[in-house]
Amino acid sequence: MSAGATHLTPVNIPETPPELQRQPLVGNLRSFGWISNRVSSLSEDPAPLWWWVLFVPSALALGMLVFMVSYQISTGVGVWGNMRPVMWAWDIVNFVWWIGIGHAGTLISAILFLLRQRWRTGVNRAAEAMTIFAVMCAGIYPALHVGRAWYDWWLFPIPNSNSIWPQFRSPLMWDVFAVSTYFTVSVLFWYMGLIPDLAVLRDRARTRVRQFLYGLFALGWTGSNRHWSNYEKAYLILAGLSTPLVLSVHSIVSLDFSVSQLPGWHTTIFPPYFVAGAVFSGFGMVLTLLIPLRSMFKLEDLITMRHIDVMCKVTLATGSIVGYAYAMEFLIAWYSGNPNERFHFMNRAMGPYQWAWLMMVSCNVLVPQFFWFKKLRENLVVVFIISILVNVGMWFERFVIIVLSLHRDFIPSSWGYYRPTIVDICTYIGTFGLFFTCFLLFIRFLPMIAISEVKGVTPQSDPHHLLGGAKEKELVPDED
Amino acid sequence: MNQAPKQDTVPGRRYWRGLDELADTPEFRQWVEREFPDGASEWADPVSRRHFMKLMSASFLLAGVGFAGNGCRRPVEKILPFTQMPENYVHGVAQLYATAMPTRSGALPLVVRSNDGRPTKIEGNNLHPDSNGGTDRLAQASILDLYDPDRAADFKKAGQIISSAVAADFLADLARHMQTNRGEGVRFLLEPGNSPSRRRLQRVLSEKCPQAKWHAYEPIGLDVHTRAATLAFYQPVKPVFRYDAADVVVSLDCDFLGSEEDLHNNIRRFASKRQVEGPEGTPNRLYVVEGLMSLTGFQADHRLRVASSAVLQVAAALASEVLGQNLNLADLQNVSQSPAGVDPNWISQCAKDLKANGGRCVVVAGHRQPQAVHLLAHAINAALGNIGKTVLLQAVPETKEGSLAELAQALKGGQVETLIILGGNPVYTAPSDLKWPTVQRQAHTVVRLGYYEDETAPLCDWHLPAAHYLESWGDAHTSDGTLVPIQPLIAPLFGGWTELEVLARLAGDTVASPYAIVRETFAGFVSGGDVEGAWRKFLHDGFLADSAAKPLALKLNKEAVSQALSGPGATALSKENLEVVFHRDYRVDDGRYNNNGWLQELPDPVTKITWDNVVLVSRKTAEELGVKNNDKVDIKLGSGTVRGPIWVQPGLADYSLALALGYGRTRAGRVGQGAGFDVYPLRTTEAQHIAVGATMAKVGETYPISCTQQHWSMEGRPIIREANLEQYRHNPRFAKEMDREELPVVAPLYPNPFDQLKEHGLHQWGMAIDLNRCVGCSSCILACQSENNVPIVGKDQVARGREMHWLRLDRYYSGPPAKTARADTFIREERQQFEEWITNPQVVTQPMLCQHCEAAPCENVCPVNATSHNEEGLNVMTYNRCVGTRYCSNNCPYKVRRFNFFDFNKRPLNKLYWGPLANRAQDELELVKMVRNPQVTVRMRGVMEKCSYCLQRIEQARIEQKTKAGASGDVVVPEGKFTTACAQACPAEAIVFGNLNDTNSRVSKLKQSDRNYSVLPDLLTKPRTTYLAKVRNPNPQMPDYNPGGPLSLQNIEAKMGPPGEENAAEGHKATNEPKGAE
Repeated sequence: MSAGATHLTPVNIPETPPELQRQPLVGNLRSFGWISNRVSSLSEDPAPLWWWVLFVPSALALGMLVFMVSYQISTGVGVWGNMRPVMWAWDIVNFVWWIGIGHAGTLISAILFLLRQRWRTGVNRAAEAMTIFAVMCAGIYPALHVGRAWYDWWLFPIPNSNSIWPQFRSPLMWDVFAVSTYFTVSVLFWYMGLIPDLAVLRDRARTRVRQFLYGLFALGWTGSNRHWSNYEKAYLILAGLSTPLVLSVHSIVSLDFSVSQLPGWHTTIFPPYFVAGAVFSGFGMVLTLLIPLRSMFKLEDLITMRHIDVMCKVTLATGSIVGYAYAMEFLIAWYSGNPNERFHFMNRAMGPYQWAWLMMVSCNVLVPQFFWFKKLRENLVVVFIISILVNVGMWFERFVIIVLSLHRDFIPSSWGYYRPTIVDICTYIGTFGLFFTCFLLFIRFLPMIAISEVKGVTPQSDPHHLLGGAKEKELVPDED
Repeated sequence: MNQAPKQDTVPGRRYWRGLDELADTPEFRQWVEREFPDGASEWADPVSRRHFMKLMSASFLLAGVGFAGNGCRRPVEKILPFTQMPENYVHGVAQLYATAMPTRSGALPLVVRSNDGRPTKIEGNNLHPDSNGGTDRLAQASILDLYDPDRAADFKKAGQIISSAVAADFLADLARHMQTNRGEGVRFLLEPGNSPSRRRLQRVLSEKCPQAKWHAYEPIGLDVHTRAATLAFYQPVKPVFRYDAADVVVSLDCDFLGSEEDLHNNIRRFASKRQVEGPEGTPNRLYVVEGLMSLTGFQADHRLRVASSAVLQVAAALASEVLGQNLNLADLQNVSQSPAGVDPNWISQCAKDLKANGGRCVVVAGHRQPQAVHLLAHAINAALGNIGKTVLLQAVPETKEGSLAELAQALKGGQVETLIILGGNPVYTAPSDLKWPTVQRQAHTVVRLGYYEDETAPLCDWHLPAAHYLESWGDAHTSDGTLVPIQPLIAPLFGGWTELEVLARLAGDTVASPYAIVRETFAGFVSGGDVEGAWRKFLHDGFLADSAAKPLALKLNKEAVSQALSGPGATALSKENLEVVFHRDYRVDDGRYNNNGWLQELPDPVTKITWDNVVLVSRKTAEELGVKNNDKVDIKLGSGTVRGPIWVQPGLADYSLALALGYGRTRAGRVGQGAGFDVYPLRTTEAQHIAVGATMAKVGETYPISCTQQHWSMEGRPIIREANLEQYRHNPRFAKEMDREELPVVAPLYPNPFDQLKEHGLHQWGMAIDLNRCVGCSSCILACQSENNVPIVGKDQVARGREMHWLRLDRYYSGPPAKTARADTFIREERQQFEEWITNPQVVTQPMLCQHCEAAPCENVCPVNATSHNEEGLNVMTYNRCVGTRYCSNNCPYKVRRFNFFDFNKRPLNKLYWGPLANRAQDELELVKMVRNPQVTVRMRGVMEKCSYCLQRIEQARIEQKTKAGASGDVVVPEGKFTTACAQACPAEAIVFGNLNDTNSRVSKLKQSDRNYSVLPDLLTKPRTTYLAKVRNPNPQMPDYNPGGPLSLQNIEAKMGPPGEENAAEGHKATNEPKGAE
């Protein structure tokens, strides 16, 4: 190091070739102020017409859910199509499906945070909200699919006068712990991240009510250095806590199946395969939600094409893992030499439910392969359609695993063919009502993009950036 | 539509303010004179248990008043155990009474359990010399009829409810009238039966009213056996077939294991011969010639599939082979051309086998077959020296009753002033050509005693409610001739009368005590001595010792046989000339059990269809006529047309339509209403069982059918294991060697907690089911349903796979492996009906119930510990703890767990989906409650249930033994003290339950058998229920002999390789045999 290095020699940094340039995570070099205004306005301006158009049917569907659930509890599980041998059907299919969707949120917020994937900031808030609402939808099913839902509390280890404890060997027991822990930590994590943004909304509030409510939930945030320091530490700790949960919750859900001895369920591949599938479907759902929101709320500068591109790539990767798992299941069934396993997998591909298996394979394995092409990743219509197909495919994956394994097992005299009832279908639609009602309320009243975090990934917030700090006003006009 | 049971609406007092006030009225005198007060029907509120108890005590009280006030000398009619020590009656402890269930040809000796005055469970009387305690399915289900809320409950005159006293007065008037004109214009229509009391009363009546005429009618012609034997042996005799003495049985369309009379005895005798104790033993051999697929056909070693109308030709061909020139039956040649498609070698080899076993074989003809076939069978039996050995001839009283056709003729001629119908439902069951509904109205007055207000009821002037046999005094002879009592366990719930009571009243007896009648008849059977003592013993034991008939040695009437054969030969069948076979339904009989929910929901043992009858056709017939399962078709025969759904039945003869009788009732009751379609309109007097010349046309509609077993094939899995006798002798361990190889478990990763637990167990319960004995009769299913309060769920729920039977009977068809192509496995179940292999399959059945696995997969997945193991090896289910996650069912490889999808006990079947908005009618609920076994919980909705090995019986036996043991410490329940309901009901003794710790117990010994195996042993569940493999005994000389063994075995080998290839080497045996209790 030379002693005369007291002043910086301007280095002529050559322009990066365009193909190597990364797209910025905030488009058009938007200013901090613009970001705050843009995001806050979503909850400050009157609700747009399309919001009402979506909200009213969602609320009606939620009402239908309440009705269907009351009907089922008051009348019996028989109102669904469940039967012997298919004792679990749409109830558990939908449970696993919603839980899977709930995966992307925590993955984005926790694992990508720890891995310093800065692109997560644009989408993490909405994804976390999606997680929470999806887990709520999921939680309805195991709680209500039982014959006597009013005794659900027996699944919790509550000391009682009879000294009867839950059966700790049962994976359903583990499920209770896994899902409730996951939900709790997800809510905490989401709320933690919201605090600085709630303070922004509080400070901008124009009515007493808003000021009071946002103020209440902002927990007296002032943005002081000490607050930020504690916040960052807590956020890191929660991220660390959530990371194993991302893996555990779906692994344990998969153990509901693999602990049994049913061909098609009894397999060690399930935990990683379920986690990959869950991430796959979770990203599918994030894309499904954000692509329309982004254009309707004009958030193209915050949720950029780069975000979408990255999420498409994650979908492609996890979709391929899922496809690999499907192939491995067949290989192991053949290689094990177990006639029941072999029969089961032949029956999947050639049996009465062949249509469901074909839906699963085409939507989950073939369709994501389109994401190899950059052209298609940039076409929002294509991405939107594929993201929906991914979730259709993942629904069928759960259907294939649950219903197809059960409908033909060891004793052929007990084979059967399952069909859902109208109550099954309406309950499922009802959970969409719950999900979208919650999600629409969320985007209406809470900042759906993490304001403080997004600011941190703008070029101007980087002290090493060429543009330094405060010149952005000259560069970009603040109008939309 | 039937209404809820109405109460007698006699105006006037029902209650008395003081005995004096009451005793002076003529009503009261009459009241006291009848031995039971008019019963529950006269109270205004519906029957409840509490109410019933009140009623009982009231009736005893009144009886006492009667003695004190009127000085009546009649004996108190108490059922025996009560007369001995009523004060020792322990509330809650069940009591057993011997009685009998009357059948068409006799009776079935029973022991009935009564809980607090309610009969709750029917069992066979194993003290009876000709019984092992087994029963048939109809007897098991008959208890539900007692509590049927749709029973006839009212005395009615022209549809208006009257009091029983009015009816009694009417009968007294009628009796006087009959005596004055010597019975002119009076006709009786009876159901067949052999009650000596009834016969005595008939005699008394005939003496008083010699002009009165008697007729008997019965839609299922089971009396053909007696008619044919009477013709063949010169005097009135009935044949009793001793299958337990026959090494070779040839059935000519005779479903003696399924739909003939005396089923429980036939099954017991056949099964005792079917038994193989070891490779040295030889089971009997069964040849079946039949058109329908029957339970007997299931068991056949050789089954010849011919149209029912062509059985006569086969019988004649067989007779000419057996008899040769020994008997000069000239006409035999006319009909003995064996029908098209029948290998003459089949008949000649069968005849050879018969001849080789003269005196140790039996040829039986079924009740659907014409008399000629029966006579040919008798001729063969006589020629082979079977009479007196395998065919016993019993003298029976000559039948004097005329036929229904004669009665119809008389009615048309206006000769009948008063028609008295005792039982039966002729408006529904009479042959269509008699036009009975209009003919019946030709009588001036029609009086009817009926159990239901059914189709016949509206066409009667007087309708009297009949008592159930559990409410009646009566008597009968069982098939061996032994006299048995029918004694009531309960006062008539709705005040019904018995047949004897009505006959006695018509004979001028105003008191008409059936007790006295039966007692008097009985006195005639006891020659001097202590009649009272004999009577008491008779009632206690349930039979009169040494009253069995002596078999007669009689010569064959060859002329009669020759004459019978002079009919024309069978016509060739085609798709334009179909044959219709009317058969007795396995469940509702001729329609009399149509309103019995247990029977309606019992899967037909052959088709596994519930709640309906169907048009059974063969695959080829269906193909040629372009119909498939569920298609509605119109069947035209003569002037009649009926419409019903098609069901392709494997193994049925081509161009044959099998129609079960007894469905499509228009006035059945809440349960039977709307079930199936009525086939009686096709039946004529001439062709009551088999008719040729029908055509069938597709209607273009479909009809949903609820079938409990959708998949027909075992798919080459060694679930039911069977071999031919030769194979078994060559390799006695064949069944064990069919276990799949599993790697030996060196040290378990996780020790099974039960292994330590069972060291504390006093007993280790286990069950063995001998598949060689099981004939699939389904008595066990109903016994379990009755014992364990298993609800019925209705047709719609069965279609959704939600039936609740704890014990089911799996039935699998097997075809030749070359035809059961691999790809067929993966098709939808609906496609099986088009597969070629089902043309002539072999069939196996297997009772499947909770296997009580030692390492039960259901237990560790239950999150709330609702299903767990006890130290005696039972997989117990705690209903109270169950939340209903249903994971246990998903993880049960045997799929024997049942889930209460709805409140089946609380809601009416047609309103299950209404939830709390639906409530069962109070009368229905109250009566249904009474049939429940109080020792078994009635499960609510949302919980799992399954076979408990009759835990309540186990506990009761343990408690009894503990009480008995006292200080001696001898608390182990000895063998034979009790058994499960299914094992108890099994007439074949195929199900054996007991303590595995006791090495001398029957179950332990069976488990030592080399045929013993467990289902799905490779899952290492170690079931406590194991099965004994089936051994068939086909004749290697027969053209249809399968050298590769039974078809199911060939299919298993095609999939898994020959058994024992790897395992046969010493020291390398499969390590996964269930250990049982060690």
